[in-house]
Amino acid sequence: MQLKFNRGPQLVLLFCFFLVLCLVPFFISSFWLRIATGVFMWIGLALSWNMIGGYMGYISFGHGAFFGVGAYITGLLMSHLNVPFFPAMLAAGLFTYLFAALIGYPTLRLSGAYFAIGTWAFAEMMRQLVLVLKVTGGPYGLRLPAFLNETFFYFLMLGLALLVFLFSYLVFEKSNFGLKVKAVREEETAAQTLGLDTVWIKIQVFALSALFPGIIGGAYAYWITYIHPDSVLGPLIADQMVIMVLLGGIGTLLGPTIGAIVLYIGNRILWVAWGDSSVYLVILGVAICLVILFLPEGLISLGRAKKFRPGGRHFGRAPAGEIARNKARAQGGS
Amino acid sequence: MGKPARNSAGFPKNRKERCRKMDLFVQTLVNGILIGGIFITIAVGFSLAFGVMDIIDFAVGEWVMLGAFTAFWFNHFLHIDPLLLLPLVILLFGLIGYLFQPVLQKVINIKHRSAALMALAFTFGLSTFFRGSALTLWGFNNRNLVTFLSEKSVTIFGVTLPALRVGATLFALIVTVLFMVFLYKTKTGMAIRAAAENRAVAGLMGIDSHRLARLVYALYAGLTGMSGIFIGSIFSVFPEMGVRYTAFAFFVVVAGGLGSFSGAIAAGLLLGMIASFVTVYLGGAYVFLILFFVLYLILLFFPKGILGKGW
Repeated sequence: MQLKFNRGPQLVLLFCFFLVLCLVPFFISSFWLRIATGVFMWIGLALSWNMIGGYMGYISFGHGAFFGVGAYITGLLMSHLNVPFFPAMLAAGLFTYLFAALIGYPTLRLSGAYFAIGTWAFAEMMRQLVLVLKVTGGPYGLRLPAFLNETFFYFLMLGLALLVFLFSYLVFEKSNFGLKVKAVREEETAAQTLGLDTVWIKIQVFALSALFPGIIGGAYAYWITYIHPDSVLGPLIADQMVIMVLLGGIGTLLGPTIGAIVLYIGNRILWVAWGDSSVYLVILGVAICLVILFLPEGLISLGRAKKFRPGGRHFGRAPAGEIARNKARAQGGS
Repeated sequence: MGKPARNSAGFPKNRKERCRKMDLFVQTLVNGILIGGIFITIAVGFSLAFGVMDIIDFAVGEWVMLGAFTAFWFNHFLHIDPLLLLPLVILLFGLIGYLFQPVLQKVINIKHRSAALMALAFTFGLSTFFRGSALTLWGFNNRNLVTFLSEKSVTIFGVTLPALRVGATLFALIVTVLFMVFLYKTKTGMAIRAAAENRAVAGLMGIDSHRLARLVYALYAGLTGMSGIFIGSIFSVFPEMGVRYTAFAFFVVVAGGLGSFSGAIAAGLLLGMIASFVTVYLGGAYVFLILFFVLYLILLFFPKGILGKGW
């Protein structure tokens, strides 16, 4: 999957697209504006999860914790210490970045299913911790100073989603660092023998993939103005991040974006139809199972299905030559 | 000096007071062991299913929940004592597992760069589906499962043993021992262990690992569903109970080392102890916090399980 930014007409198209996105809040109702804001938030979250799950191949079920921690840090800074919003949000991002590096150092020694369970355990631990702590308000949640300007939050989330998208594009698709990360995904031992510092790379990716959920969590807390352990640290946050990426196409740039748009809008339609219903869980569960059974490369594979050679390697793995080339480039560029 | 005199360890010097504290300690210990017995039953099946199929089943707690609900509805409509339903539930869930396994196998065989994790995500979707369906159909209410052993208890040496917990532990022990005998003394059991250890080599020796995987998954589903009856009658039955037992099963299996039976038994007892001691001395809200912290430490420092026998 390559975006070709260097072509003139596409650049113009892209520019028009952004122009439309910037004009949107002045033409649609506040109901749709909130949905659009939510879509951008989830695009950001799905793309952050994709950094570790897609590019590095480490499935984390605990990324909801970073979202929640970011939301709580922002909330605590704003409501207890009267810090303005932007410094609080950035501090939350910085905190989750460092926190993830600290957590990642031991956790990333695990791999495969152990890593998935370890991160899941970590997330549950954070939720329980927030529930018993006094300063976070425990099960009563935390109230932030209200700032009721939907347009502001629309642009904030749009900006954050764009930031994560561009960051993913530049760092994971276009740089040597991205190649190193992919080398770790394809064959960790081989990457190590080529002289890559895999421990450092893994920690770096884990921390980066926690930085953005922290910031977005802070923005979410200020947007919703009331946070609660179950609303920002519940397992559903991490679940949806994983599902959006799987639904759209893991390890790509457009896949998680499409997955986030489809799933979030689907979620809202259900919400309009049935309210906050457990039917959503049923549909979510069925969706995961069906996607994995019949569309393991996600929705994005529908668009490029015809390009595959019959009988070739259909499922995602790059040809051996390309992997070797990537590894060589990664080594040479370090 | 109005406070009661205490020795350096903080124990009251007064003899009566000390006895009372001691009693509480012993009672907690016994309760922990009794609860641990049931976790072992779940963990043995879970660990075997992982060994043979290479699959971590996120839906394990949901099988517990479904087992409990099956017993509840049978009891509700037909007034059969839940404990008499044990064989029926084992058979029913065994059959479901047997019929369902090929779907899982299809997921495991997907040619994807992270096939094992796709399977993990699949069972995760399954568990979301089960939980959501149960919530939609039966609501958030807690229900009680009353058996003929409920409300009865035995007192030995001043320690009260609730009859239901004793019965559950005894039954779990018997089932686990039978299961072990099956695994270690029969030819099929040996084939299962071989397949769990190395599927490719077992296949070369003429073992049909697909048939075995179906059998193992059926056994696992049956045992887990059956544990649901005990868990449901000791605690209570509600659609969201599954998450808790998924966490517990993970704890037992990871702490014991994936694929190690003796490790699973040790970890099951450890889990029972932690749950019971933390509840008594710190409060129920801290159980998960402590549990996950311990799990975390174990994952980091004993990645092969507390007995070092997993893989």
